Amino acid sequence: MASLTGYATVSMILFSLGAIGVVSRRNVFIIYMSIELMLNGINLFLVTFARYHFNMDGQILSIMVIAIAAAEAAIFLSVIILLFKTKKSLDTNVFTELKQETE
Amino acid sequence: MGAADILSFIIFLPAVVAFILMISTTKIEDVRNIAFITTIITLILVMKIYLNFEPKAEMQFVTNIEWISSYGINYYIGVDGFSLTILMLIAILIPTSYLLLWEGRTKGYWLNMLLIQTGVTGTLLSLDIILFYFFWETMLLPVFLIIGIFGSGNKVFSTIKVTIYTMAGSLLMFVAILYLGVSFFNEYGHWSFQYNDLTTLTHLGYNEKLFLFLAFATAFAIKIPIFPFHTWITGTYSDAPTGGVFLLSSIMAKLGVYAVVRFMIPFFPDIFVEFSSWFVFIGVFGMIYFGIAALMQDDIKKMFAYSSASHLSLIAAGVFSLNSYGINGALYLIIAHAIATGGLFLLIGLLHEQTGFKTIKDLGGIAKKAPIFTFMFAIMLFSNVGLPGTNGFVSELLIIFGIYEFNHTMGYISAVTVLVAASFMLWMFQRAILQERVGAPLQMRDLRIKEIVGLVPWVIIIFLMGIYPDPFIDKFEPTVTHYINDILKIGAIK
Amino acid sequence: MHTPYLIWIILIPLLGALLNAGFYIYHIKFKKLPEKLFAIIGTVTPFIAFLFTLNLFFKLNDGSENFEQFLFQWLDVDNLSIEMKLLGDKLAIFMAMFVTFVGWLIHIYAVGYMKGDDGFGKFFAYFNLFLASMLILVLADNPVILFIGWEGVGVCSYLLISFHYTDGDNVMAGNKAFIVNRVGDLGFILGVITLFFALDKTGISFGDMQANISIASNDLLILSGFLLFVGAMGKSAQVPLYVWLPDAMAGPTPISALIHAATMVTAGIYMVARFHFLYSSVEEIGLFIAYIGAISAVFAAIIATRQQDIKKILAYSTMSQLGYMFIGVGLGFYSSGLFHVFTHAFFKAMLFMGAGGVILALHHEQNIFKMAQHRKRLPIISATFLIGVIAISGIPPFSGFFSKDAILAAAFQQGEYLIWGVGMFTAFLTAFYMFRLYFVVFVAPNGHEKEYSYTDKTITFPLMILAVGAIFAGFLNFPAIFGGSAFVDTWLAELNSVKLHMSHATEYALMFASIAVAVAGIYVAYKKYANYDVYKPESEEGLIANKFYVDEVYDKLFVQSIKRLSRYFDETVDTKYIDGTLMLACKGFISFGKKLAIIQNANVRYYAFYMLAGISATSMYIYITLIGQ
Repeated sequence: MASLTGYATVSMILFSLGAIGVVSRRNVFIIYMSIELMLNGINLFLVTFARYHFNMDGQILSIMVIAIAAAEAAIFLSVIILLFKTKKSLDTNVFTELKQETE
Repeated sequence: MGAADILSFIIFLPAVVAFILMISTTKIEDVRNIAFITTIITLILVMKIYLNFEPKAEMQFVTNIEWISSYGINYYIGVDGFSLTILMLIAILIPTSYLLLWEGRTKGYWLNMLLIQTGVTGTLLSLDIILFYFFWETMLLPVFLIIGIFGSGNKVFSTIKVTIYTMAGSLLMFVAILYLGVSFFNEYGHWSFQYNDLTTLTHLGYNEKLFLFLAFATAFAIKIPIFPFHTWITGTYSDAPTGGVFLLSSIMAKLGVYAVVRFMIPFFPDIFVEFSSWFVFIGVFGMIYFGIAALMQDDIKKMFAYSSASHLSLIAAGVFSLNSYGINGALYLIIAHAIATGGLFLLIGLLHEQTGFKTIKDLGGIAKKAPIFTFMFAIMLFSNVGLPGTNGFVSELLIIFGIYEFNHTMGYISAVTVLVAASFMLWMFQRAILQERVGAPLQMRDLRIKEIVGLVPWVIIIFLMGIYPDPFIDKFEPTVTHYINDILKIGAIK
Repeated sequence: MHTPYLIWIILIPLLGALLNAGFYIYHIKFKKLPEKLFAIIGTVTPFIAFLFTLNLFFKLNDGSENFEQFLFQWLDVDNLSIEMKLLGDKLAIFMAMFVTFVGWLIHIYAVGYMKGDDGFGKFFAYFNLFLASMLILVLADNPVILFIGWEGVGVCSYLLISFHYTDGDNVMAGNKAFIVNRVGDLGFILGVITLFFALDKTGISFGDMQANISIASNDLLILSGFLLFVGAMGKSAQVPLYVWLPDAMAGPTPISALIHAATMVTAGIYMVARFHFLYSSVEEIGLFIAYIGAISAVFAAIIATRQQDIKKILAYSTMSQLGYMFIGVGLGFYSSGLFHVFTHAFFKAMLFMGAGGVILALHHEQNIFKMAQHRKRLPIISATFLIGVIAISGIPPFSGFFSKDAILAAAFQQGEYLIWGVGMFTAFLTAFYMFRLYFVVFVAPNGHEKEYSYTDKTITFPLMILAVGAIFAGFLNFPAIFGGSAFVDTWLAELNSVKLHMSHATEYALMFASIAVAVAGIYVAYKKYANYDVYKPESEEGLIANKFYVDEVYDKLFVQSIKRLSRYFDETVDTKYIDGTLMLACKGFISFGKKLAIIQNANVRYYAFYMLAGISATSMYIYITLIGQ
């Protein structure tokens, strides 16, 4: 079995990649995928520590995260379709309606 | 309802009437008539107090009810010689000014005038400092509305400027008030905001007192106005409607001076004495500065704004001169200036309604068309200039005496007041009223009976106070002496 | 000694003013009233005041004490107790007598002069008000009440100079008079205040101040004496505050006669005499006053020699004669100075009224050369004018000689030879320009046939009465060397004037010198102007003809610079600096807010980044603080 450090590192790398993806990618789909990546990274982290401490709490939380991610996926994808209908583009830079008017 | 409740009645009657009128009638004439009757009733009540007042140095007609008892805030009102004189002035000026504003106003105008009267009277009579602050801020709102809705020119900008500027000062004062309240609680274990309690604070350090003093001074300096916090007046006075500018300059500015005497002197007597030279200097400087700035003005209302500021600076200098001549003279000038400047503004307002003029260049030839108007205008003008026989002279004489006793050089400089106002007033009078106009003659009707009836009491007071000043001064002289001897402890030094 | 009559001397003209004012308002608003009504009210009231004064005069002459009348307490603050009280001592009654008498005569004259004018009633209201103010001035018991009258005459002067206000020039002249007077008043008020405090606030009435004068330090006495004199400089048109007097001639001639010849301008000399207890103790200021008087006298005389407007010549002449009066009172010879006030009132008023008569007859022509071109025959006016001119030149036995000679002798006796010399030279010039005026207007040949022109009796009657005064008033103070009783000197003995005591020889020599100088002036004028071709008017070029450019200098120095300062204050200091700082604070807020708002760019990724950054920072912080445990 690989050491704890290894698993933790992998999950942190996954999480970081996801975070960077959310911030730096412009396509809404990619942002969504990055969010999913972040969630899965955290799942791995939770499960790792659950297995390490022989405590079921981590695994239960991880199942809840998966469930919520699934629900979120449904809403997210519908919203993306609506967004595409309004602006015919999936570039986040286009959706700036709430911006402060500069004079 | 005892005799002491008259004061509460005087304060709140206009507001109550305004509220009732707001939700009931819509006919302008009815609103105006009822408002007028309300002010007359207030006048009668004030006269009753005036006649029953004894010339002593203490508060009379006092009401003291608990309001927010957990913080020691009481509804504490009362009147002494000082506030009585100003109260009488307000009570006489407001109804007569209604007569000069009779035609062509809307319902909102009259309601705002009533509300301002409540605010002003309340400020004058409050002896609990939180109550005072409450009314002080209440004065601002109807003024804001009256200038912003019924004004002219750059009215929205002017009204926002004056409201925020004044509020900034008041906010500073509020911080100081809270600090005082907390200090009192720390020292005595219970809350109180009554002014005679707050004068008994002893544990305040010098720096604290200095900060508090300056905070109060800033708020009042903006209101009066004193150089260099005066820049709001030119815009505001020229953009405000006639009733608004009349209330602002004749009444509300005086409340700044009143507040200095009522609160700043008893709270911080030692710092007051220490800083008096500064304030006398600023007062005298402001008087000359505003007088000179008024000279080349083309807009009459701006010129009168500067003239008003010039006299108010002189009043402030008189108050800070720490002797009975100066303070009595300042109070006298408060009355004289309120009448003369108020009259001038109201007459100019009438002129503006009739002719729609913009600057002095548009005017001329009024004397031939409207001789009675010219006569009234000339009397107000001569009182402003300080001609002997009018109350303007008596007041300026006393103030010059006072400032001279305080500091000889300042006294000499302050005497320039006799010259400053004369120059621009006469020049304006010549161009605007006497000389023939270049171009087509103006349409101007002379004063109607109503307006003459409104102005006659003022003319009588001007001359009565100028020819026989002693009985007027007797009413407030004991209070002034009390202030100087007991509070400022100057009497001991003399 | 108390009397109830003093107040009536003031109240009756005041009542006349109020009545006329009320009737005038009725006249313009409702129904027209006849001129006679205003005229009768206007002329009867000064006469009644004169009768009251005369009554008090006789009582005083019989040895009664000085009269006083306490009216009410005017002001009572701290140590300053001012009473509204009237004082009728010999000096006051002396002034009041000729003020009411000459005033009455000029009121009669004005009925004829102002006939047909729209503002007839208004004129008499103002005129009576002026008389009442002047009487307050002379009858006051303390300088504050005096100042009320002092300013009162100033205001009436303003109102009357700008009487025909539709013409802007008149109003400007009125403004100038009022403001230059105000500069003087500034000095006066400061002088009163300085004196009051110098006397340790012991009292402000003249009697109190006289009793306590020794308390004051010498420096403060000099200062207050100087400041009080600044007031006199303004009111009595001495250098440098004289510039309003020639312009004041824009007003109708009756007021030039009354206000600017006989009464208001003499207020300054009265004031110095009233404060004699002060000026006697600080001789330096007295000398200063005498010098200013001498300078004004000669300065005005020089300018008068080239003036062409008849009223302006008389105005400068007044200024010059006032200079003589100040020489008198400055050197401590109060009664001599006041005697010259008295005689001057008669002949100067007469000269002005005569000039007015000529102006009227020639349809408001005021240039002496043009007058001569269209001269009409006016016998009474010519005769009285000649009498006046002789009197002012100082030819005996007319009154001007006695009064002027007394002053010149005073200067000589005090050792002030410079002043004496200047005075003699001025006497020469006076004779010269006055006779220049007379010859050009009345004598120089012209091409026209002289027709007789009828002049109103109201104009000639006062002239004749004043002529009698001009001729004979000198005998009221007939000097002792001629065996006279020097009545005026004894009457005003309370003032402790310096007495003339020189050898008879010196006195005769001086008198002869002054007569000689006057005759020389007349001779030069005769040579030059008696046969002058009036169609060749004198040029208006040159330093003298332009009044030494003083008006222009004042304008540049004071008026223009104050106007520039005013604009500077309003536009630069107020708007740019003070308001600018304020608006800078406001704009600072707004721009700060705008810069903050850049963060809100509505781009989701940025918001995500902010969240990430915030959470990371918070987590790091918690981690680091927990590490310590």
